[in-house]
Amino acid sequence: MVVSGRVGSGDVLFVHGRSGAGKTTLLRILARLQQREAGDLQLAGIPDSQIPATRWRRQVHYSAQRPVAFAGSVRENIVIPYSLASYRGEPPPTAGEVEQALTQLLLDQAVLAQDARTLSGGELARVALLRAVLARPRVLLLDEPTGALDALARQAVLEFLRRWLEEAAAERALVIVSHLEDDASPFSNVTWLELEGR
Amino acid sequence: MESGVIPISNWQLALSVVLLLLAGVVSAALQLGLLRSLLWGGVRTFLQLTLIGYALTYIFAWNNPWVILLAVLFMTAVATQTATHRSHSVPRTQYPRALAFLSLLASTMLVGVIVVGLIIGPEPWYSARVAIPIFGMLLGNSMNGIALSLERLYSSVNAHLPEVEELLALGATPWEAVRPSVKEAVRAGMTPTINSLMVTGLVSLPGMMTGQILGGADPRVAVRYQVVVMFMIAAAVALGCLLLVGLSYRRLFTDDEYLIPELRQSRNGSTE
Repeated sequence: MVVSGRVGSGDVLFVHGRSGAGKTTLLRILARLQQREAGDLQLAGIPDSQIPATRWRRQVHYSAQRPVAFAGSVRENIVIPYSLASYRGEPPPTAGEVEQALTQLLLDQAVLAQDARTLSGGELARVALLRAVLARPRVLLLDEPTGALDALARQAVLEFLRRWLEEAAAERALVIVSHLEDDASPFSNVTWLELEGR
Repeated sequence: MESGVIPISNWQLALSVVLLLLAGVVSAALQLGLLRSLLWGGVRTFLQLTLIGYALTYIFAWNNPWVILLAVLFMTAVATQTATHRSHSVPRTQYPRALAFLSLLASTMLVGVIVVGLIIGPEPWYSARVAIPIFGMLLGNSMNGIALSLERLYSSVNAHLPEVEELLALGATPWEAVRPSVKEAVRAGMTPTINSLMVTGLVSLPGMMTGQILGGADPRVAVRYQVVVMFMIAAAVALGCLLLVGLSYRRLFTDDEYLIPELRQSRNGSTE
């Protein structure tokens, strides 16, 4: 399968296609978690061969369809990136930032103390998204971000993402895989990519 | 012999075959299908030990440091072969034989030289009669330790693939992404040794001590030797596991830091 495209800053690339078309594979290749068979990959005009994988993945974050909970509380889970070497010297998000984001995502503050492994699917999806955003990537690659959410939480997540994008539109971009075309509606600059599969 | 060993004559040795036949009768009666393995194992035990008996007689008489080194290298190679033997978790292309050999050699050499040269201190310091059994015990235990570690490293990374990938996706280095599995692997390799430190002398008498006592040694002397042996094994196993896992975790990744595809094939997380 051959796919070509670019996501400009402040833009959303909306990937659509039937199950098995390779949507997840595309995101994983973009995140450099899976090797591609051929082709080029660039970030801000710099080919991927010139950016170490660790630095690339920090900036182009892939958020899996099945969110991952690490052992420990939600608070510990969302600051995990700041224990990594590539974040050394960076201040972790402030309590205020976390609190604000939780409210926007319709999560109770008490969830911070909860064991991340006891969260419901919809809660964990939002906690994983929060972790991804607080890790300060430039490009977010989201695999079915609203799949596990009810209507209310889904609206909140899309609104949260719209704000995240517009806050610093010059240096951020979003790639969303979703089977719900409606998920694209909150965003202004949307490019559609229809995957046909092999 | 003055040390008080009671020699076993040929017919006494032959009598011990009756014991093996007893095991054979059990297998035949219950149709366990073990009769052939049992007999073959019995023949191999006899042949291998007889050969090693003659070989050791020569090596002890010769007592040449280079011959001892050669024997140790040979023992390390056999231990490596056994430790990296086919396992379910380690992909076929991944047996880190060279790394296992290096880890075993480095850890046994370091600990073995300290024990033989400094702690026991025979004359000459490399005495084959001391060095060969010591290195044998070190290798035998380290071999099991690193085999367990290696198996656990791969099975743990496989079991925690979503976590490993999430950490990578957040910008973790390969080391950071598999660090929990590395710890688990070293722990798995060391656990049997630590357990044996706990129960030694309570459940059974260690083989070497038993041998010395049967050989007529004062039990108090035998105990001192056994303490040294237990501690040296703990050190060698810990070092060997740490070295091997530390050297081989990188083989879970390609040069450009992708997880090797052999791992992802058994992945059950993603839908596409």
